[in-house]
Amino acid sequence: MTAAAISTEHLSRRFGELFAVEDVELRVSAGQFFGFLGPNGAGKSTTIKMLTGLLAPTSGRIEILGLELAQNSVEVKRQIGVVPEGMALFGRLTGGEYLNFAGRMYGLDRDTAAKRAGELLEFMQLADQPKTLITDYSHGMQKKLALAAAVIHNPKILFLDEPFEGVDAIASGTLKAMLQRMIAHGATIFLTSHVLEIVERLCSHIAIIHRGKLVAQGSIEELRAGVEAQAGDAIGGNTGGAPGEKLTLEEIFLRIVGSARPGDGELAWLG
Amino acid sequence: MSTSRDARGQFAAVAKLRWQLFVNSLRTLRGRMELVSRVVVGLGFAGVGFGGAFALGSAALFFASQEHWEWLAALLWPVFLFWQLFPVMATAFTENFDSSNLLRFPLTYGTFFILRVAYGSLDPATALGCLWLMGIAVGIGLARPGLVPWAAIVLLAFAILNILIGRTVFAWVERWLARRRTREILGILFFLVILSIQFIVPLANHFNRGERTAMVRVVVEFLPVERLLPPGLAAAAIARAAQENFSSALASLLLLIAYGMAIAGLLHLRLRAQYRGENLGETSARSVVPRGKSVVRAGWGIPGVPPPVAAIVEKEFRYLSRSGPMLFTLMMPSVVLLIFRFTPSSSGNPDAFLTRAPDLAFPVGAAYALLVLSNLVYNNFGADGAGVQFYFAAPVRFYQVQLAKNLTHGAVLALEAALVWMSVCLIFRPPSVGVTLATLSGILFALLVNLAVGNLLSVNSPKKIDFGTFGRQRASNTTVFASFGVQLVVFGLAAVVLLAARAYGRIWLATLLYLGLGVIAFVVYTVVLSRAEKEALANRETLIAELSRT
Repeated sequence: MTAAAISTEHLSRRFGELFAVEDVELRVSAGQFFGFLGPNGAGKSTTIKMLTGLLAPTSGRIEILGLELAQNSVEVKRQIGVVPEGMALFGRLTGGEYLNFAGRMYGLDRDTAAKRAGELLEFMQLADQPKTLITDYSHGMQKKLALAAAVIHNPKILFLDEPFEGVDAIASGTLKAMLQRMIAHGATIFLTSHVLEIVERLCSHIAIIHRGKLVAQGSIEELRAGVEAQAGDAIGGNTGGAPGEKLTLEEIFLRIVGSARPGDGELAWLG
Repeated sequence: MSTSRDARGQFAAVAKLRWQLFVNSLRTLRGRMELVSRVVVGLGFAGVGFGGAFALGSAALFFASQEHWEWLAALLWPVFLFWQLFPVMATAFTENFDSSNLLRFPLTYGTFFILRVAYGSLDPATALGCLWLMGIAVGIGLARPGLVPWAAIVLLAFAILNILIGRTVFAWVERWLARRRTREILGILFFLVILSIQFIVPLANHFNRGERTAMVRVVVEFLPVERLLPPGLAAAAIARAAQENFSSALASLLLLIAYGMAIAGLLHLRLRAQYRGENLGETSARSVVPRGKSVVRAGWGIPGVPPPVAAIVEKEFRYLSRSGPMLFTLMMPSVVLLIFRFTPSSSGNPDAFLTRAPDLAFPVGAAYALLVLSNLVYNNFGADGAGVQFYFAAPVRFYQVQLAKNLTHGAVLALEAALVWMSVCLIFRPPSVGVTLATLSGILFALLVNLAVGNLLSVNSPKKIDFGTFGRQRASNTTVFASFGVQLVVFGLAAVVLLAARAYGRIWLATLLYLGLGVIAFVVYTVVLSRAEKEALANRETLIAELSRT
């Protein structure tokens, strides 16, 4: 069995009376491209924040690369890269200045930080506006810059919270190229996304969280087999898909979390 | 019919929203602390409001009973100036309105206009202005009861005009502030205007030593113009009516109303643009910058300072260097010394206080330099916005982040102290070694106390600084209140020590005492630095949410 890059035990986070994340047991092996899915408000962002040290768990244990996060937060952070929900950019720096700053914060020496910053700006196609402040960047440019800052120290694990949200096809292509390159070089990537087509294309393994609880975890094939087996047991072998066709990730996802469609009598006044 | 019913519903909904936001804010400790601060500040304002109303009312009663009706202008001008300048000078107590959230609802333009005017008017300047005008009305009424209805109409028109001017200035300035370049130009202009005002009296007196003729001449020259401006018109409208010159009184009132309509027209231009969907956010004002190839230079290396700390220091200096107004404020202490140099004392002595006691010039200038810095020190993550998440995600201890920010602020203060010292040498005379050492040790003590309290407040009561808006708070009420208290204690203590040592002719005693206090302050600072780290980690969710707020 491959060593776990990320593992959690009984991970929970409570806000007042509400359990945003409850008793989550995650296991992500090194080198996996891991998609963390769930409906809105299911606890995805809360989980990723806890895994990256942006939020303290109420209870439970997090291990990253074999180190317990609570005890070794600085050492763990040195080995991971994060693109959080708000992107964590400093708007009044230029892209180059920000990458340089990020590199040095992650422990690179001054020359290496500057060299990598220049290369990343080139790769992300951000190098032609050296004097533009980040606050004047478009949303897609900011996403690319945030990703560049997260990888400048060549992390072993990369956490991405909705990296493709609000990004056009061109920027999205650049982001995907970088992520696939990292996976090819043995990095582990943990991402949340609502764009299931992209997750299906990129990720080898999936976990689904629903109402704060982990309801499925495994490779896409394992999840598909599980759903098909369950459907077979329930309705005599009919999985609902066309004969011979595999269930898509969207179909798997909807089967697992349940698609609560409104009845005909609801919202009768609408339309 | 249905439109007016819609509007009523919308006004009620916005009022309910404000109330709900207020009630919900009390769920957190920070919200409750804000409420306590607001109550204390509110009591202060109430004292100023009622005291001012009584004073202005008494003055109005005196002028009216002496038939000096024209002198009412002398009461209305301060009210007018306060009403317009206070919200600009004290943005921490001013509520401005972000209309973008409301525009998605089906508001008519009329409703939007009224909401903008009404919402923005619920600030201390309006409350105090109205209270003072009521005081003046009561004073006039006691002297001449028959004049009350007319005076009430005139003062009401004057009040509405003040509200409209305030809203118009805010709306237009916000437009200009949306662009970084115009924002910086405006900041510099604002600074120069404030500076010029400070210099009028000192310069007039400087060139007319021993006489008051210059000021009198300025006032006399200004009088014909003054009568055509809103406070003069309001005073004239009441005065003419009191003198039974009704046509002239009516003409003054009509001119006052014409002013109001012109100002409302300017406000309409701005609000109409906003209503049509203009976005004043920072990104909408994307500046055109020359394209070229990016060459990333190596960052700063500071001997003896860990690389992450040096990186944050560099980032802080880059932020400061991109804030034109902030750079200008660094010059303020030297400017204040110039003003002190030329301002006569209130006792009638033509020599300024610091001219008579030039050895106090350096301490005064250095203390002012620290005060200028307090905006940064007490909300040291305000400018970072969502970037604050980076500090929690990066492999760096949080105390190192605050240490870097403190080092930056310390370096800025050192630079300012050097500037002040040179200014004192040029404007007054070089301070003695004793005074220089006492001042530097005193400033060190005060800086350490300020940094310690500032670090705690920065993580417990952060406030996002939005460079693209005007009149939105730049610090929380709790922070403003706490920093005021700290300055009062620290500078009070420092002044007592310095003056006592000076009186006994043993200035070195002050140095010793300050160094002793500095050692205690340093111990407190280090304890607080690690405490602030714990609090930052415990409050990280609130800190990130508050600073990432859009």
